[in-house]
Amino acid sequence: MSKTEDPAGSIRAEELSALVDGELASAEVGRACNQWRDDSAARAAWHTYHLIGDVLRSGDLSSTPGHDREFLASLRQRLAQEPVVLAPARHSGMGASAFGRVWHGMGKRFGGPLRTSAAVAAGFVVVAGALLATQLSPTSEAPAAPVVALYSVPAAGALAAVDRQVVEDAPTLVLDGQLIRDARLDEYLAAHKKFGGSSAPGGPSGFLRNATVESR
Amino acid sequence: MHPVATPVLSRASWVACLWVALLAAPPVQAQSALNSGDALVEKREMKAWLVRIQEAANKRSYQGTVIVSSGATVASSRISHYCEGRNQFERIDALDGQPRHVVRQNEQVHTVWPEHRVAMVEQRDQMSSFPGLLQAGGEHVTDFYDLKFTGQERVAGREANVLMLRAKDGHRYGYRLWADKSTGLLLRTEVLADSGTVLESSAFSEVAVGTHPPLESLLQPIRRLEGYRISHPALVPVRLEDEGWRLTSGVPGFRQVSCIKRPADSPLRPSRSAEQPRLQAVYSDGLTYVSVFIEPFRAERHTRPMQAAIGATQTLMRRKGEWWITVMGDVPAPTLRRFAASLEHTP
Repeated sequence: MSKTEDPAGSIRAEELSALVDGELASAEVGRACNQWRDDSAARAAWHTYHLIGDVLRSGDLSSTPGHDREFLASLRQRLAQEPVVLAPARHSGMGASAFGRVWHGMGKRFGGPLRTSAAVAAGFVVVAGALLATQLSPTSEAPAAPVVALYSVPAAGALAAVDRQVVEDAPTLVLDGQLIRDARLDEYLAAHKKFGGSSAPGGPSGFLRNATVESR
Repeated sequence: MHPVATPVLSRASWVACLWVALLAAPPVQAQSALNSGDALVEKREMKAWLVRIQEAANKRSYQGTVIVSSGATVASSRISHYCEGRNQFERIDALDGQPRHVVRQNEQVHTVWPEHRVAMVEQRDQMSSFPGLLQAGGEHVTDFYDLKFTGQERVAGREANVLMLRAKDGHRYGYRLWADKSTGLLLRTEVLADSGTVLESSAFSEVAVGTHPPLESLLQPIRRLEGYRISHPALVPVRLEDEGWRLTSGVPGFRQVSCIKRPADSPLRPSRSAEQPRLQAVYSDGLTYVSVFIEPFRAERHTRPMQAAIGATQTLMRRKGEWWITVMGDVPAPTLRRFAASLEHTP
């Protein structure tokens, strides 16, 4: 991309291009954004770069917009011709699935005007399936366990005793996880995690997990 | 066992039962030699799996977004890993909290905090002789864990083999691993407590294997460090015994893999007074590891003993005579207490 730079520094095409690609250092993002705001040429360049990027990613986007307009127009026309449904059609019972029949039967049993099509019943099944999947997902289980907890050991005076009789599991004080954002603890954590090196269970790369966890 | 996890135990086991039912329902076609029942075959097979997983992480090029969740906290980062012959390049951008880039070129690791205009340069080989998976624990990983193939699932848009790495004793945690079927790259991991509770989970939300960004864009954060305060923490390898300490009994399976002295201050919080360096001894069972930090006790800094859990990482801090001991690791709290109890000062 051409680099046009005038003494006032109004357009730096290269910077703008880097911003489009998400590769501009954060310190320069602000300046590039200001340029974009103040300079219409920068805005035009910004638009062009995006267009280029879009077309590179998908050739369909280079087609003439007339195609879309035609499609939209014909869609509108056909929508206008659709009859307006004033009342839902009476449930025929034909082609209803077993679920539909059960659902239907339930409606009758409870005496209410509960008329549900098989489609709704199927929808219900899908929702139930999603719920089940959520329940089954092991990660959804994790938040239930208060994994982040901090408890202080009984008394500072009883240190010798604490040393001998192993610290008991019963927490005397459980604090919220956020409270242990203690910089010192973080330092130990950072020093410890550095050894993650390439230990497999820590993630695809030990460093990855470290970098992720340390910055929490 | 985590003490506060007991209320959810029943629910966890209920979920575990459902899992078993679910896994048993479709016939698992891709049975591997892992479940052969022959101990020797299984051991060999387990090592082969772990080596494949480790090699994929080191030798493949990949980029993606990883989410680490533990308890109520979630953090994510973007990773690009590029391997070209013998050279490895890696860039990790933290996507949560304060901006931070970690750029690794082979053994050299840059950590850059752009907001503070601070950077830290470390040599990984100098930092530790930690050889990573298998070389450290090598032969005896199989003595403390067993590995079972439990099926196939789809993770981050890719087919994955699901492996269960179960701890044989209570001194360590178990893991559930999802390894990419075609490359072996870990797509997802879970750290599991004894009860089956997931303590921490990390997973790619999306990943592209075999592709990488241009090298220049990968190294971009460390190309513009003009005006940054750059620290090179000096890490000195030492012997624990020479420093007047020893571990009397230790914990089964854990062997010392490194012992260093590191400065007590951090690059983001440089200390005004000259603080004594901190001793760090690292023990590994081949898969996980425990750090033991020893430093002189200072009443104003070390106010109270404590025990904390951050995801799967447990921490124990307590005073030992004139010293302050911090034991940290992805192991159950009793294991850390065992480490702390068997540490002995031999002046």
